Amino acid sequence: MGRVLLIVRLVLADVRRHPTQAVILLVSVAAATAMLGLGASLHGATEALYRKTRTATAGPDAVALSPGTDRATIRALTSLAHMPGVVAYSGPYREYYTTLTAHGSTGAAVVQAADATPGPIDRPLVTSGRWVRPGGVVVERGFATALGAGVGDRVTVAGRSLPIVGIAVTAAHNVYPWAPGIGPGGGPSDGGGLVWMAERDTRALKTSDLSVTSFVNLKLRDPDTALTLGHRDPAVASAVGDTWVNIRAWQDMAAQDSIMLKASQPILVIGSWLLAFLATAGVATLAAGRAAKQTRRVGLLKAVGATPGIVAAVLLAEYLTLALLADSLGLVAARLIQPVIINPSASLVTTATGPTGGTIVVTTLVAVAVAALTSLGPTVRALRTETVTALADSAHQPQHRAHLTRLSALLPTPLLLGLRLIARRPGRAVLHACNTAATLATVTGLLMIYAQPSKGYPGSAMANDLRNAQEHHVILAVTAALIALAAINTVTTTWTTAQEARPTMAIARTLGATPGQITAGLSVAQLLPTLPGALAGVPMGIILCLPFSAGNVTWPPAWSLLAAALAALPATAALTAVPARVAARRSVARTLSAEAA
Amino acid sequence: MNDIGAVLQARDLYKEHGQGQSLVRAVDGVDLDVPAGQMLAVMGPSGCGKSTLLHLMGGLERPTDGEVWVAGRRIDTLNERALARLRRRAVGFVFQAFHLVEELSAAENVELPVLLAGGSPRAARRRAAFLLERFGLADRARHLPWQLSGGQRQRVAIARAMANEPLVLVADEPTGNLDTAATLDVLRLFEDLRTAGQTLVIVTHDERVAATADRLISMRDGMFVDDTQLAGRTTGRLDGLIGLED
Repeated sequence: MGRVLLIVRLVLADVRRHPTQAVILLVSVAAATAMLGLGASLHGATEALYRKTRTATAGPDAVALSPGTDRATIRALTSLAHMPGVVAYSGPYREYYTTLTAHGSTGAAVVQAADATPGPIDRPLVTSGRWVRPGGVVVERGFATALGAGVGDRVTVAGRSLPIVGIAVTAAHNVYPWAPGIGPGGGPSDGGGLVWMAERDTRALKTSDLSVTSFVNLKLRDPDTALTLGHRDPAVASAVGDTWVNIRAWQDMAAQDSIMLKASQPILVIGSWLLAFLATAGVATLAAGRAAKQTRRVGLLKAVGATPGIVAAVLLAEYLTLALLADSLGLVAARLIQPVIINPSASLVTTATGPTGGTIVVTTLVAVAVAALTSLGPTVRALRTETVTALADSAHQPQHRAHLTRLSALLPTPLLLGLRLIARRPGRAVLHACNTAATLATVTGLLMIYAQPSKGYPGSAMANDLRNAQEHHVILAVTAALIALAAINTVTTTWTTAQEARPTMAIARTLGATPGQITAGLSVAQLLPTLPGALAGVPMGIILCLPFSAGNVTWPPAWSLLAAALAALPATAALTAVPARVAARRSVARTLSAEAA
Repeated sequence: MNDIGAVLQARDLYKEHGQGQSLVRAVDGVDLDVPAGQMLAVMGPSGCGKSTLLHLMGGLERPTDGEVWVAGRRIDTLNERALARLRRRAVGFVFQAFHLVEELSAAENVELPVLLAGGSPRAARRRAAFLLERFGLADRARHLPWQLSGGQRQRVAIARAMANEPLVLVADEPTGNLDTAATLDVLRLFEDLRTAGQTLVIVTHDERVAATADRLISMRDGMFVDDTQLAGRTTGRLDGLIGLED
């Protein structure tokens, strides 16, 4: 118990002494696990949400649709409702193809004639306002969100102005903008939103020249058999005869709803791995920067009798605890963000469905791996160092790199200093180059995705627009997260380099280097690896994007890719300027006195 | 104000740390003239302000009040950039802890000031080779600092301080980390430099080191309490000093 208390006390003391490092570790790992949690939980998430909506609204197992309202059509639909295996039904209902205008925006719409009291199947869930009444309409929530309309707003439906009395969701139709299911006359649908109107109000639509589809909602004895309902089914064939009837199973609707997320999932998953890499790079830099102090701390602990086990526990516990805390924060963030991502149309009930047990295991493993990868090396090195050597703080000697040193002698002072700083820790320069490459790969992905023309659903412009918007929002969010983390890493790397090189830079100043040259040298140490990293990041991004393109790739302008790569240089210069300047302004006498102490 | 013959001058020099009750006056109203070619030793107990005085004279710290002149130029009013440029040519520093750049070889350490002053790599190499040869370290030129003994490291540090032929070489406890033999080596070096006309200011605890100087100033509580010209300098008889025999 005493040992545990000691470990806790030492860990807490260290976190209190280095709060910024703890925060950076938390933010980095939390960002990575949040994105990973989101990416991993997308698979099947929308289907799960559809199931919840289906339960909440007594959704049908199948919907049979047929263009027109003639007697043969109605007879065919009614026959379907009475075939074996159907335990309940509602309808036939009519839906009219028209437009709806709200706040100056007009969108394609299907107007469903609704019962004042919904039947046993398809009882739309009113999320605000009330159910339909004569003289007022209820707008499906995804459609209302897209139009920016709410209860009390007036909308124009088929040329008639009516107030919105309610907003609702349903599982009997696909999510916005695929509500029509089939197009006018049974042709392809151009997409649109759903509006419910009192039966009495739809009489005016009957007299107009609008296309109409009739449909019936079916409840089956075995909902899983809904997918087998079709014209090959003898019962269905006998019921519909020659009438053209389209049967949509609930499974099809669930799958249709997740189409919107198909492009988002790889973006999130790949983005999360890149973020995890950046988190590892950032935390590794922090850990390496503290290695010398940690070694001395280990020496002190050993000197007062701590066993290797206790020492290892103290060193690892801090990173592991922070990583696990960050994992929890990331998962909470993923759960909070998930409803927005998995329900982009807002047409399904709003509940968080994840993260699942599997997702939690994956993100926790990643968080632990980040902690282990970054702290294990310094911990093992510290443990292997003899106590006296550790106390002397001379355990780690920088390597002599004669070639780089000779080369740097030919260069102006800032480049000389920058190159020699890189020579001290070449691994860190490589890490920084990878940091830049990962960021530029994502930026390239962003440019690639934005360059692609709208595709995927011929004749369904609204669906394409919504899917593209979803894709653009996700890649934009991923890119923003990566840039933010890369920026934190750049500042961290500069500061760590400046801290480690403090004595060397102080010596250089006693020998005549100006603060400006020191500042420039510290910036150059980051700028030199930035350029190859940026140039490597562009093809990396293209390679990552190509497997997800549908064959015909539209390339973004070459100048935009080059500009993105070159923009990394001024961005790095700006990010390194402040920490480098602060480090260069430190008192030389004080630094050297502290080193000598 | 300034005496053209003095390489280093201080007038009414103060340096304070902290404020209120925790105010410490590290240097308290000091006046000093160091003529060219003089070897000055500053002695005093720990914390008496001698290292601070050295930092002020070399432009590493700024005084709270007073003036510092180097070769007829007032330096306490200079900005950091100008001070850095001054240090390149006018002042060479030697520290107790050597402060060599650990990842550079002995020769590369000595080349560094020449490169920082804008010298060509070839000139830097030649100068380093010359100094290391002169200081008996030619065979250690490619060694890294941790591969050298304490005395060798300090000799490299002195070579580095001399790389740009500074007007004055200031040394802060240069023998503080050395054994007797290494101390003797360093003192011989200083003696050679003094003979060659180099101005030296050495802060030390060690009376044996102070005895080799032309002039000895004793400090206490930031003030000079004694300033003595040493008539019986130790030139040519270092080996005979008590406790420094080989």
